[in-house]
Amino acid sequence: MLRMANLAKTYRTDTIETKALSPFDLEVKQGEFIAVVGPSGSGKTTFLNITGLLEVSSEGQYWLDGVEVSTLGDKAKSRLRNEKIGFIFQSFNLIPELNIYDNVEMPLRYRKLSGAQRKKRVEQALEKVGLASRQKHYPSQLSGGQQQRVAIARALAGTPAFLLADEPTGNLDSKMAAGIMSLLKEINANGTTIIMVTHDLEQATQAGRVIEVKDGVISEIKNLAQKIA
Amino acid sequence: MISYYTKLAILSLWKTRYMSLLAVIVIAVGIAATMTTYTINHMMTKDPLPSKSDSLFLVRLNNWSPESAYKNRDVETAPVYLSVQDAVNLIRHDKAQAQIPIAGFKDMLKLPSQDAVDAKMTFVRSSTRDFFSSFEVPFLYGSSWPKTSDINGEQVTVISKKLNDKLFDGQDSVGRTVELGEHQFTVVGVLDDWFVLPRFYGESTRAFKAPRDIIVPFQTQLNLELWSPNLQAFECWKETEDASVAAFWASECVWVFFWVELNGESEKRVYMDFLNSYVEQQKALGRFQRPTLNQLQSPSAYLKERDAYSSDSEIAVWLAICFFTLCLLNAMSIIMTKFQGKAGEVALRRAVGASSMDLFQQYMIETGIIGLLGGGLGLLLAQFCLFFSSQLYTHLSKNIMAMSVELMVITVVLSVLSSLVFGLFPIANAIRVQPATQLKSL
Repeated sequence: MLRMANLAKTYRTDTIETKALSPFDLEVKQGEFIAVVGPSGSGKTTFLNITGLLEVSSEGQYWLDGVEVSTLGDKAKSRLRNEKIGFIFQSFNLIPELNIYDNVEMPLRYRKLSGAQRKKRVEQALEKVGLASRQKHYPSQLSGGQQQRVAIARALAGTPAFLLADEPTGNLDSKMAAGIMSLLKEINANGTTIIMVTHDLEQATQAGRVIEVKDGVISEIKNLAQKIA
Repeated sequence: MISYYTKLAILSLWKTRYMSLLAVIVIAVGIAATMTTYTINHMMTKDPLPSKSDSLFLVRLNNWSPESAYKNRDVETAPVYLSVQDAVNLIRHDKAQAQIPIAGFKDMLKLPSQDAVDAKMTFVRSSTRDFFSSFEVPFLYGSSWPKTSDINGEQVTVISKKLNDKLFDGQDSVGRTVELGEHQFTVVGVLDDWFVLPRFYGESTRAFKAPRDIIVPFQTQLNLELWSPNLQAFECWKETEDASVAAFWASECVWVFFWVELNGESEKRVYMDFLNSYVEQQKALGRFQRPTLNQLQSPSAYLKERDAYSSDSEIAVWLAICFFTLCLLNAMSIIMTKFQGKAGEVALRRAVGASSMDLFQQYMIETGIIGLLGGGLGLLLAQFCLFFSSQLYTHLSKNIMAMSVELMVITVVLSVLSSLVFGLFPIANAIRVQPATQLKSL
């Protein structure tokens, strides 16, 4: 469902050229749970942004569900993001002045769905994350774990083909983090592909595959659990 | 989506309420200054009678001295007034659809039942019955006097609503009598509210003042020899036979504005031919010894020639437009600051699938609402400024300081459109944000 061939990213200014990601190949199949690990500044988020069509690669090709994305315009990329990708961020990124319902509904607003269709999807997504009764609450009235659950519901509401999670537990205590991880695993078990950037190797071991990004070089780590044991 | 964007705009306006209010106030002040000056300038320079502006003409004939040109101008022009004898002759020939001499005098006015001490000095307009029909003057009671009154110079009058309120407590006064000096006049009509701006038909210096409150037939003024040299402007190039009013009437002195109504080019051409032949006849009688300069002048051309429109008001409009532009630039800077705080939200919306066009529409609606509120507040401020101006410049008609519904709509539309235009840059700047760099800043 996702294939990257010889993909690379270089940031250029007038005087400096910085290689953020060296050329790499990657293929992700439907239903996989991939953890992306690596030290800070290694290029994990750049990788995730390119995967989520928020940045463009400097070279190489990228197919998402069979569509070569590097040649797409703004509108087509936006539609692809809206229909195929769900984002989960470390800092939740909820809009404080919108209530939970409106936050979750946001991606659906950019599709031509009726009010009733949107309502059904929002309620289903909030049901999945256990916050159906908090629709009228505002983000500030929820705990960090609950806010991240709302962010997950927002990502799920659009029934995306895959979720991109950038350190989804980074701002949570261990108990809340465990809850979020188990929710992500449940979502994955239901067939949604997940690519998760994390610093936490323990969490990474819970993924089916682990990719390491180190100094811009992407490689796959086999048997991470054994290595850290 | 419009309702969704409107909801987001209102939430955003509330979230950034102080900055939004500042932008609204800045736009309102600019639009108020512009529309106040524009309203005054527009009311001063607008077509006073759009339905008649192509068919009313001031008749100008060159009866001036054989010795020198009128006012010794390099490019000779005919006087703006006619002499009594020419005005009377043109009325008698009856060659136009309507013939409207504009003359006047002043006298003491009172009711017959009032004591002499209660009489008030009053300025009187004299004309023909065509004055009312050609200038589309509305009547509250009665009507204009009959043609016989023009022919015979009957002592009839039409009074303004204001004077009727004063003398007759606003009741139907048709058939009642008023005294002008030692003469009694029967009221045949009462005007409804009437203001023609600019008041083109008389002295250009009074173009923005209220019409006279009492109107009598021109022939009646002539018959009764009602003459007020210290009121009525007049110009003579030779002495009258004697000091009598009759001699003045018979002289070459000019003081009567003479308007005609002519429908279409052919009527105008025919009337011009008539004027030419009339002047030729008069030349044969020893008058009109200067070059023939017969002219049919439109109201706007007459007002322009007489400098009725002050260029100051036009300059004020341009200055106000400059001020408005500055206000809009200020508003633009406030909107830009406001939208800069939205970088995180823009990035998030881009991440969940909003296209640049979606965000552009959302922020255009928000900017449009700022413009709409600015326009609404600006409209209120402009009304206040106009009211204040009307209190300050009491010598000018209050109607100059009044905004028509059309101008009110223009005020709001202008505010919205200019806000949208000046909001384009901040909006373009806001949606240009790179989502990847902003998603951690929401």
